[in-house]
Amino acid sequence: MVDFALVHRPALAGAKSGSFGAPATGNRITLAALPEGHVLQVLGSKGSAGLEDLIRQIADGNQTAARAYGPGQWFVVGDATLSPTEIAGKAALLSGKASIAEQSHGRIRIGMSGGSVEAVLAKGTAVDLDRAKFPVGRSAMTLIGHISALITRTGDESFEVMVLRGFAESLWDELIQMSLEFGVDARATV
Amino acid sequence: MASLIACPHCGPRPKEEFTVRGDAGITRPAPDAREDAWYAYVYLRDNPRGRHKEHWHHTSGCRRWLIVERDTVTHAVYAVTDAAAQGETA
Repeated sequence: MVDFALVHRPALAGAKSGSFGAPATGNRITLAALPEGHVLQVLGSKGSAGLEDLIRQIADGNQTAARAYGPGQWFVVGDATLSPTEIAGKAALLSGKASIAEQSHGRIRIGMSGGSVEAVLAKGTAVDLDRAKFPVGRSAMTLIGHISALITRTGDESFEVMVLRGFAESLWDELIQMSLEFGVDARATV
Repeated sequence: MASLIACPHCGPRPKEEFTVRGDAGITRPAPDAREDAWYAYVYLRDNPRGRHKEHWHHTSGCRRWLIVERDTVTHAVYAVTDAAAQGETA
């Protein structure tokens, strides 16, 4: 018997929304909470190499869906929620060369875009985000301030930041703070 | 963010992203080794001046154990390699 119903509440549901900081500078930042779809952590098994094509097969086809962040380690993300059966189907595709850990409940994606997005992120991380060194589709696991996050370039002027659920609102507030000099429009509801 | 460690997987990153374990040259004694060998393994460390190899963990990056060869006086970093043997990881 269920004593009380569990209500799924988006991690950023209560976060700050609206426009903050400098008035129209032409380089405004847009912050958006992204759908809590699926986040699959994929870990290559010992001795397996050249898994990139295989990992791409379990992704949803989006160019930036499969995100490498270390040797034999990927996050595969997407906007659609996946049932346990669908995840098991993807695991079967990997045929023992890698395993999947479902992290959809545990990681939150935040979209960031605008002309000055690199300048804003550079306040928090030491990773060189210049487009020549960090092209579209590239990811880096790093610290933004003291919060561990996965940064992915999704376009010429857009990035995604993926963070542990419990840190999401704190990072959200920090990203707003870091963007104030350019002005920021934050949209916390999907 | 002054001290950069050139992670072989992630590129140059500030030392704040890493956790230092210490001397990489220590080998674990056999399970039936004498107590003094275990005491030395667990507690006794040299405090070398100059070139030194250490285990560093890239905690906030690729989460790999690395061997960092650096100078304990100048903090010049000579080499950073993955601690796993070649071909052992994906």
